[in-house]
Amino acid sequence: MRFAFSLEQQALRDAVRDLLGRACPPAVVRAAWGADDDAAPALWPQLARMGVVGMTAPERWGGLGLGELELVGVLEEAGHAALPAPLLETTAVAIPLLAALPDGPVVDGVRDRWLGAAAAGRAVIAVGLAGAPFVADAARAALLLLERDGELHAVPRDAARLTAEASVDGARRLAWVDWTPSAATRVATGDVARDAAARALDRGAVAAAAELCGLGRRMIELTVDHVQVRHQFGRAIGSFQAVKHHLADAHAALELARPCVARAAYALAHDEPGTAVHASLAKAHAGDAARRAGRAALQCHGAIGYSFEHDLHLFMKRAWALAAAWGDAAWHRARIATAVLDHDAAPGAFHA
Amino acid sequence: MKILVPLKRVPDPELKTKIKDGAIDLSGASWVVNPFDEYAVETALRLLENGDAGTREGGEVVVVTIGPSEAAQQVRSALAMGADRAIRVDAEDKAIDALTVVAVLQAIVAEEKPDLILMGKQAVDGDANQVGQMLAGKLGLPQATFAASIELAEDKASVLVGREVDAGVEYKRIPLPGLVTVDLRIVSPTAVKNHVTPDAFAYGDGPRYASLKGIMAAKKKPLADKTLADYGVTASPVIAEKGVELPPARPPGQKVDDIPTLVQKLVEEAKAL
Repeated sequence: MRFAFSLEQQALRDAVRDLLGRACPPAVVRAAWGADDDAAPALWPQLARMGVVGMTAPERWGGLGLGELELVGVLEEAGHAALPAPLLETTAVAIPLLAALPDGPVVDGVRDRWLGAAAAGRAVIAVGLAGAPFVADAARAALLLLERDGELHAVPRDAARLTAEASVDGARRLAWVDWTPSAATRVATGDVARDAAARALDRGAVAAAAELCGLGRRMIELTVDHVQVRHQFGRAIGSFQAVKHHLADAHAALELARPCVARAAYALAHDEPGTAVHASLAKAHAGDAARRAGRAALQCHGAIGYSFEHDLHLFMKRAWALAAAWGDAAWHRARIATAVLDHDAAPGAFHA
Repeated sequence: MKILVPLKRVPDPELKTKIKDGAIDLSGASWVVNPFDEYAVETALRLLENGDAGTREGGEVVVVTIGPSEAAQQVRSALAMGADRAIRVDAEDKAIDALTVVAVLQAIVAEEKPDLILMGKQAVDGDANQVGQMLAGKLGLPQATFAASIELAEDKASVLVGREVDAGVEYKRIPLPGLVTVDLRIVSPTAVKNHVTPDAFAYGDGPRYASLKGIMAAKKKPLADKTLADYGVTASPVIAEKGVELPPARPPGQKVDDIPTLVQKLVEEAKAL
């Protein structure tokens, strides 16, 4: 058995890497820190034109009908660029969640109104699951998919009251969402809602893990560049073992996390029974690895790494934010432990 | 209207070149489409579409490359941009020179009968800048080189090519069939006119990014694998690479205190004056 991404999956990823490499330099990420909460996401039209935004949407709504195996490579590149746009929330979670709901009058109406618009990049959809206190990108979303009391609701942004909440990552927009559930917004109840929310959590965790791998890779690249030109004691500091070992350890941790992410994507794409465990493994490993890469990067950069003017913090703070979102490493390890020790236990709440 | 675009794969020009044992070390090199050839693909697509509506207005873009099986990847990237089909003629990069390439392309042109041959002005690996001119000469076709702009006549019988020269822009109208080699500015926002895309429409600067849909569609587009023998050509290069070495290290620069010392050094040491 050959367990590797196909040439086509690699080509999709390379194409996004090319676009983001040219169109999303750190200056774009920095600009997002100062943007209004409801400003249109950076590069959204270009990404939509390229088919990235709608890649997970079924073809009947203008998407490409692609799955998680195509998506993780793209998300890793989004992480590598610290893309300040809701690819994770809209493309990786909201669109598949909405597309997979069973048909019904409310669901059909919501899908007809929003799925095509989301796939075309005209509407952002944000997701707020019950265990998460904040909703990312709520202010610039047109539609919010919200879980409460075992039900899923599709709430137009205008029908919700938002209170902005600062994130450690200034390019990330969080908000408390206050809203009133109604029959008109209810899109799923009972087992359907519970399963959809659980799958959305797994999708979000794997997507965040993929972005974290990209962020970690970028921070190591930045640091390798730095330690080759920063001289101390008459030599480049990268020649010292204390520096090299830091970076080698961080790199090794990332390389161990990436197969976990690929495996979890495979499990999601094939709807395997152990998907939740694979998702937790991926998120726990990638979160730890990205945080470790950030620590090594900060240490090796020395004082300049702490400065706001240096690019490192743009990537490090995104890594901190995503490591905590969609369940942090401790929560995911606990979920793995529960699955290992008690096959019948239901997953508990998580904290974002 | 059929447009033939020959393209070559080259080592990624953004990566540092390594020299080993008197030759450029290409082990582990990443390969890309020669940038000028990519501009030619972009130009061909712009000539055949309504850029404003995002619709193709008929015509066919055929890309051709001469290279090993791995070169299919670069051809696929042109197909992903929007080219319709491709031909790869199998040959090792080192086994062919410009004349061999011209002989193969001559045979392909005879078979395909394109209305326009669009190609990069040169490949950025060898920088020879020979194939376009020689091919037009061998085929007896009109040519316009280093195109910075191109306008397809309404009757599609000719193209008006703008070439940037020292004194300004020189315009040449060549009847079709003909051959045009393109320069960097051909992919600026309004450099290509075809009387279909509105004149006011501005493309993005540079060649387009392949869409994900285009990448997936490229896999299903026809790619014909041929050999040199299929076109009656034998690889017998008249130009051979004898060796590659870096230029000698330059001596360090000097700082001088004043203009007279500078002039003195230019005269006595550099012998530049």
